[in-house]
Amino acid sequence: MSALTVRALTVHGRLNGVSFALGPGTLAAVVGPNGSGKSTLLQAAAGLLPAGGDVELEGRPLPRIAVIDRARRLAWVPQEANFQFAFSVREVVSQGRYMWADDGRHVDDALTNFDLQDLADRPVTRLSGGERHRVSLARAVATGAGLQLWDEPVAQLDVRHALEVLALARRFANGGAALLVSLHDLRMAHSFDRVLLLQRGRLVSDGPPEEVLSPAAILEVFGVHARFGASLHLELPDDRRERA
Amino acid sequence: MKRRLVTWLLVSLLPAAFLASLALGEVRLPLADVAQALRGKGDPVAVTIVRDFRLPRSLIGAAVGAALAASGVVMQAFFRNALASPGLLGVSSGAALGAVSVLALGVGHALWTVPLAAIAGAFVATAAVVVFARRGAGTERLLLSGVALNALLDAGTAFLLSANAGRLELSGQILFWLMGGLESRTAEHVIIGIPSIVLACVLLLPLGRDLNLISLGEQSAQSLGVDVRRVRRRLIVLSTLLTALATSVAGVVGFVGLVVPHLLRLSLGPDHRRLLPASMMGGAALTLACDVATRLLPGGLRLGVVTALVGGPFFLWMLRTLP
Repeated sequence: MSALTVRALTVHGRLNGVSFALGPGTLAAVVGPNGSGKSTLLQAAAGLLPAGGDVELEGRPLPRIAVIDRARRLAWVPQEANFQFAFSVREVVSQGRYMWADDGRHVDDALTNFDLQDLADRPVTRLSGGERHRVSLARAVATGAGLQLWDEPVAQLDVRHALEVLALARRFANGGAALLVSLHDLRMAHSFDRVLLLQRGRLVSDGPPEEVLSPAAILEVFGVHARFGASLHLELPDDRRERA
Repeated sequence: MKRRLVTWLLVSLLPAAFLASLALGEVRLPLADVAQALRGKGDPVAVTIVRDFRLPRSLIGAAVGAALAASGVVMQAFFRNALASPGLLGVSSGAALGAVSVLALGVGHALWTVPLAAIAGAFVATAAVVVFARRGAGTERLLLSGVALNALLDAGTAFLLSANAGRLELSGQILFWLMGGLESRTAEHVIIGIPSIVLACVLLLPLGRDLNLISLGEQSAQSLGVDVRRVRRRLIVLSTLLTALATSVAGVVGFVGLVVPHLLRLSLGPDHRRLLPASMMGGAALTLACDVATRLLPGGLRLGVVTALVGGPFFLWMLRTLP
């Protein structure tokens, strides 16, 4: 059964009749130019925006699932991680267990996974943009939800942390989770199982990256020439890859 | 360490302020006499002073302070802004205008007329803030909408005041609402103020966990399992009610809802499970202390004037430290 099924999802003026299904163990990227509806798609799929169409979690219609039960199945990471009050990093990540009565499980793992152990007692108001983003991601992962919707998780991260987050995403998918991750960097999307390409609120193609991200499609949607070949290529060293 | 110190400070300050409020005033009573008088024994004059005059006044002072501080905590979390408070947003002014309208129109003198009018006025003001400032709005937008709303509501109160300038007793009453005070509080005010404020506080306390998540963003809170629509409704209703009830028994008492939550957040951290009860205690202690000051300082200072004298400079300091 699909972890997430979306049918004719529509948000007035921003998203137009998007349909797809996401199975467990899939790492999927959402790409598209600015304003193409990536964030709207993730918010509407998470039930955080009023939207037309249907969303189902594990075959059950989203509106019929209580808010707390949704949170046990689905986690969402916002594009902007602005924290106004000086909670510590650990306190914010622990909020990821709200729906499990604050039992504290997975919190230490999440802190370690996102390289936050040394910052655990630091107030979130005194973090850089990238560090705040990692806190948001750690909170979502601490929920233990099998469906993870991440909005631009790596846009603000330095290259090492960005690659680590993608390696973690891959590990979660290998462990059976379904991940839908919006990305700006098409090169990163290339390592995903599946790519959903949005243009002006419509899903224009959906499939393996080598099909969806063809030079012709990239020229058509983004207006840039794509060329495959040797240029600067970055990857994690072996020890870090294993850790992630 | 700091946390424990502050907790102990609060736990000892509140009873101390309460006792001072029973003992100090035009007639100073030793604590032993206060204790006797509370039990109805000893000098009958002392018994009358303590039981009939000072006890209602102290109880109401404590309840008003707790209500305003709790209301401030909720508004700050709700608007995600450390400068949000009942006074600055105009909710207190709305409650005062409601109460003053009833007084000026002379619509009955039933027990609940004034509080109900205050509640109605406060809800109109809250609705206006929610519409114009929106949650998560920048400090400027929030405060400017507060400035505009306060100006509008205070103009209404001023109009009622000038229209009734000839009626001395009435204009005196209206001035009371504008400056806040706990003089001549009676059992009637205790009945209006105490049970309802205590109830609203008790209903608010279990929402600390939800407030924590909401204070970091509503969509995130919802995605983590907070039923934001339901919780938001409760928060708005309870915080508005608390301000309205406090205003209906003590007039406009400013800055308690701003100063107390802010100072306690600095020392106890932003966790609302601690911050809410601590602010209730801190608000009660501050209000009682300011009320004692009105009795001890010369010149017949009013409670609202003293809290403003304490809170105004504090507010300016806060503006400097905020980003």
